[in-house]
Amino acid sequence: MAEEGVVIGCHSVDEWKDQLKKAEDSNKLVVVDFTASWCGPCRFIAPIVAEFAKKFTNVAFLKVDVDELKTVAEEWGIEAMPTFLFIKQGKLVDKVVGAKKDELQSTITKHVAAAA
Amino acid sequence: MAVSGFEGFEKRLELHFFGDDFQLGLRKIDFESIQLVLEQVQCTVVSAVGNAYFDAYVLSESSLFVYPTKIIIKTCGTTQLLKSIRPLIFYSRLIGLTLCSCRYTRGTFIFPKSQPFPHTSFKDEVTYLEDTIPSNLCFRKASIMPSMSSSHSWHVFTATIDHHDQDNELFTMEVCMTDLDPILARKFFRRPDDGKTGHSAGKEMTELTGINDINADALVCDFAFDPCGYSMNGMDGDWYSTIHVTPEDGFSYASFECVGSVNANNIGHVLRKVVQIFRPGTMSVSTTCSGYSNEMWKQMATAVEPLGFKCRSCAMDQFPAAATVVFQTFTPRRKST
Repeated sequence: MAEEGVVIGCHSVDEWKDQLKKAEDSNKLVVVDFTASWCGPCRFIAPIVAEFAKKFTNVAFLKVDVDELKTVAEEWGIEAMPTFLFIKQGKLVDKVVGAKKDELQSTITKHVAAAA
Repeated sequence: MAVSGFEGFEKRLELHFFGDDFQLGLRKIDFESIQLVLEQVQCTVVSAVGNAYFDAYVLSESSLFVYPTKIIIKTCGTTQLLKSIRPLIFYSRLIGLTLCSCRYTRGTFIFPKSQPFPHTSFKDEVTYLEDTIPSNLCFRKASIMPSMSSSHSWHVFTATIDHHDQDNELFTMEVCMTDLDPILARKFFRRPDDGKTGHSAGKEMTELTGINDINADALVCDFAFDPCGYSMNGMDGDWYSTIHVTPEDGFSYASFECVGSVNANNIGHVLRKVVQIFRPGTMSVSTTCSGYSNEMWKQMATAVEPLGFKCRSCAMDQFPAAATVVFQTFTPRRKST
C-alpha cells in the first residue's frame, strides 16, 4: 500500500489516531487538511494539496472531513475551511487557515527545513 | 489626478436566488464552474476560505461571496463584471435555483474611458442588464444618485420579482474613498525583497494598519499584491466584510464594505475606524436596506464628525420591491494643502 506521495483520508477516529501515531513514530511532519464537502475553497485547494503530497514525500498528508469526524474537528478548534494543521511529535507547530497556495508551500518548506 | 492608472472603483453585483435547497444552494456549484464564471469576468482566485454560512474568495481584482441563496461579486480595474450574470444563471438552474433579484451598483470611475463595453457608460450597462436579466424580474429601476461633485455619483440598477422574501434586518454599507492620506497609503506598499508570500505580507498590513481592529471577532483572509495593493475578506458568522486598496498617489482609492444588522449599534464605530485607517480626501457612503425604510444613514454623519468629516450631500432613492438606498458624501472640514 503506497502511502507516500498521496493525501490519506481518515474516515474514523481510530484511523486518525493511527496515522498520527505512525507519523510520530517515524518523526514525520504531519499536514492535516480539514475540509468540508460543501465548501468551495476546499475544492479549490484540493488538487494543489495533492501536488504538494507528491512533492514532499517525507511529509505525511492527511485529510479529515469535518462532518465525518466532528469530534476531531471540534477537538482541534476548526471553525473555517480549509484549515491546515501542522503537527510534529503530536504537537501543533503551525496552522494555515484558508486556501492559500503560497502560504501553504512556504509553511511546509519551513518545517521540512527545520527538521533537516 | 494622474492621466491614467489602475481603476480602484469597483462594480458590484448582488444576485438572489430561490429554490428548494436553502441549506447549501449555490455552494453546491462546483469550483470549476465558478472558475469559468470568473474567466468571463477576467479575474482569478488568489485565496479563499469558508465557514458554516458562506464561502469567501479574494480575487485578483476584488472579492466573491457565495451564500446558499445569494452571490456577491465585486470587481475593480477593467473587469467585465456583468458577463458573469448569464453563466451564473445557467449554473444555478442546473442545481434547481432561480434568480429572483439583482442589484448592480458602482461609484464613478476615475478613468471612465479605460472601461470596456458595456461599462463604457451607465446607459450601456443598463441596456446590457435589461437584455440579460430574465423578464420575470419585472420590477426594475435604474438611478444615478448625485452628490455635490460629479466625480462622486452612485449608480444603482435593481431588478426583482414581486413578493421576494428579504431579510429586513440586514443592511449593506459600501464606502468608497479617494485621495487617501499618502503616509497612510504607503503602508500598503510591499517592502522589496521581504521574502514573504502575498498572504503573510497581507497579514502584516492588516495588523500594522489596524484593519484587524475594525471587527476583532472576524476571521480575516488577506493578501498584499506586488508591488502594492491590498485586499481582504472578513468572516464573522454569516456576515462578510471586505476591503480593497489601490494606494498609488494620483489615483489612490480604498473601499470598505460590510453587511450588518439594523439593530446593532456599532456601525458608527466601524466607520470611524475605517476613516482613521485611510483619512481620505473624499468619502462616499451608500447604505442599502431592504424594504421601504432606511435609518442607518443617520448614524454616519455623527460617527465621522468627531474626526473632522462633514457630510456634504445626502440623497435617498427607493427601488421597487427591492431596497431603499441612501448615498452620502463626506470631506474633511478643512483640506490641508
